[in-house]
Amino acid sequence: MSAVVAQRVSKVFGRRKALDRVSFELPEGAFLSIFGPNGAGKSTLLRVLSTLARPTEGTVRVAGIDAKEHPDQVRERIGLISHQSMLYADLTAFENLMFVARMHGVVDAEDRVRTMLKAVELDHRRYDAVRTFSRGMTQRLSIARALLHDPSVVFLDEPYAGLDPHAVDIFDDLIDRMRAGRTFVMVSHDLQKGFDAATHVLVLAKGRTVLFQEKESVDFQEFSQLYRETVGMGVA
Amino acid sequence: MAENRAKGPRVGGALDRFAPIGLAVGAVLALVGLVYAFTVTPLVNGASVNGVEVINGVAVSNMLLLSQKIFYWHMPVAAVSFVGIAFAAYYAVRFLMTKDAAYDVRSKLCMEIGLVFVLCTMVTGLLWTRFEWGVWWTWEPRLTTYFILMLLVFGYFILRNAVADSERRAVYASVLGILILVDVPICLMVTRLIPSSVHPVVFRADSGMSFEMVLPILLSVIGFALVAIGLFRLRLRAQILEDRLTAVQEALED
Amino acid sequence: MADELSTGVERPVRVKRPSTWAHYRALVKKDLLHEMHTKDMLTSMGLYALLVLVVYGAALAQAGSQLDVQQMAGGLLWAAVLFTSLLGLNRSFGHETADGCLDGLMLVPMDRSVLFLAKATANLAFLAIVEVVVVPLFFFFFLGTVGVAPSWPLLLAVLAVGTIGIAGVGTMLSTITVNTRGRDVMLAVLFIPLSFPLLWSCVSAATAVLVGTEGFMDTFTMSMALAGGYDVVMILVSWVLYDFVVSA
Repeated sequence: MSAVVAQRVSKVFGRRKALDRVSFELPEGAFLSIFGPNGAGKSTLLRVLSTLARPTEGTVRVAGIDAKEHPDQVRERIGLISHQSMLYADLTAFENLMFVARMHGVVDAEDRVRTMLKAVELDHRRYDAVRTFSRGMTQRLSIARALLHDPSVVFLDEPYAGLDPHAVDIFDDLIDRMRAGRTFVMVSHDLQKGFDAATHVLVLAKGRTVLFQEKESVDFQEFSQLYRETVGMGVA
Repeated sequence: MAENRAKGPRVGGALDRFAPIGLAVGAVLALVGLVYAFTVTPLVNGASVNGVEVINGVAVSNMLLLSQKIFYWHMPVAAVSFVGIAFAAYYAVRFLMTKDAAYDVRSKLCMEIGLVFVLCTMVTGLLWTRFEWGVWWTWEPRLTTYFILMLLVFGYFILRNAVADSERRAVYASVLGILILVDVPICLMVTRLIPSSVHPVVFRADSGMSFEMVLPILLSVIGFALVAIGLFRLRLRAQILEDRLTAVQEALED
Repeated sequence: MADELSTGVERPVRVKRPSTWAHYRALVKKDLLHEMHTKDMLTSMGLYALLVLVVYGAALAQAGSQLDVQQMAGGLLWAAVLFTSLLGLNRSFGHETADGCLDGLMLVPMDRSVLFLAKATANLAFLAIVEVVVVPLFFFFFLGTVGVAPSWPLLLAVLAVGTIGIAGVGTMLSTITVNTRGRDVMLAVLFIPLSFPLLWSCVSAATAVLVGTEGFMDTFTMSMALAGGYDVVMILVSWVLYDFVVSA
């Protein structure tokens, strides 16, 4: 079964077309990287896939469930890690995770929260307010936050924004550890990083699909050449 | 896409051709109504005074009696303004149900027409209070309600200007439009049932309007309604052309 | 041993969809915790209310007889409550949007109108706490020498009904204005006219019980009925429309 399917997904408001009939199909365990210049509709596509926005037309299926018909069932199965932490800066790490665990209805919430805090190595800071964390630590905590309810599909929205090189390495390591059994969809400006992690690549321009293919058939040089040619400017 | 457009509200056709005619006819009718009110309709209950006379201990001049003529425009304008707001709320509901931007445009335009007529109501209302009750302002129920309504409609447009994202702007504006429609009757009811202690509420005994009084009011109501519809269609066409132009400009810039 | 970050095969994570009530409790608790850590709303509202009273001190310094102050007390009290709550409401939604927390809430499978009820409850609690401090101070400063009618305990009912309405409508509007330019002014521009009927009837009810002239009960019940009606209608409408606003 395909993990994520988009069929002719359009997002239109008035005369503005943010997405224009985007289609793709992603098998389980795949890692899709979405590229495109600013305003190409990458973030809109990610919001539509993660049920944060409704498509004007077309269907999105996550784990075989129609996102328009049963958004709540889709939400049970997805997690989002974005450049925004989605954490309350004035609550402690523990309180933040407990809140999310309770909202998602995780059984044995405290246990799960402790496990996740240990997994991202923030156990020693669990009673400190998120405000006092470095950018890298906050990002780690937001990974723990996204994985609390054990989603099978994880969306990444510009996760590298604002991370220093060391934090990027840690983040990559964490992503590697998460990958078993999960499907990923990532929006990133970083062509090299996005390409390295991916099994599939999708290039958007002006809301339309320019390219969607499995990665194995292309190498990075070829791909970045192609990207520059088709999209023109805006290569990070 | 094509099917979707067909289902949504459309522009063009007979209604648009009618718009300028409706506008003209409406203006003429409203004018006829007013002229009729001044020439044919007698002063209140056929009363007429020479110079200034004292009736029931109040100095009454012809000017005071004539001032009542404002009523023949004031009432229709107020009625039309409220209908405008009601339509804005109606389109707001349609928008929230469909998320079709076309309904948002209509809701906004109805609110614009509503604003124009609310302002006219305020002006005619102020003139009336000045002559009828001898004060420029009093916290009288209808006056207060219209004042609040005016502030709310101002707020509506200020809100529209303060939201950057067009879809979000449409949703917020629609919700506020509905809230306005719900709030205004409550406001009228509250101010009417709980009079302010400073100024007594003036309940006018408007009972028993003669035919000479009803006719000009009717003419004005129909006239102003036609003016409102005409304005709406014209504004709608202009707005749609403007949107198309913006879209073309954006496409060219890319 | 399997990595804790990978999807659990050895120790599967069990998830049971919580009830709406559980969501409500978690959300209210989160807001209360947040306020306990920052004390942002309470301190700013409390200080502001106190300063308004100081301003009243100057404003009323030349006021004459007993009746004048009594007659004005209801209005002044509500003016203070309204402006103070404006300040608090402005802050009540800021932390939800600051780091994209609202998106996080949108990703939770739940009935979204619970968000409205929870937020309104938290706001109501904060407003009530501030009133508990400010209203006695108001009596102390302005009504101590003048005295009030023996019917004054009824003021509590007026405060309750009025504050519920303010919290309900204010929660709705602050959710809208948090995403606008110049949101502080924006909230006032929308909130004051929209809550005008409530203000009008609450002032009337408060004045009636503070002055306590003959037949005041009629005015009081009428005003309270209207204020209650406003609460019910506006909160119901806000509750229904909240999903649209918060998802936009």
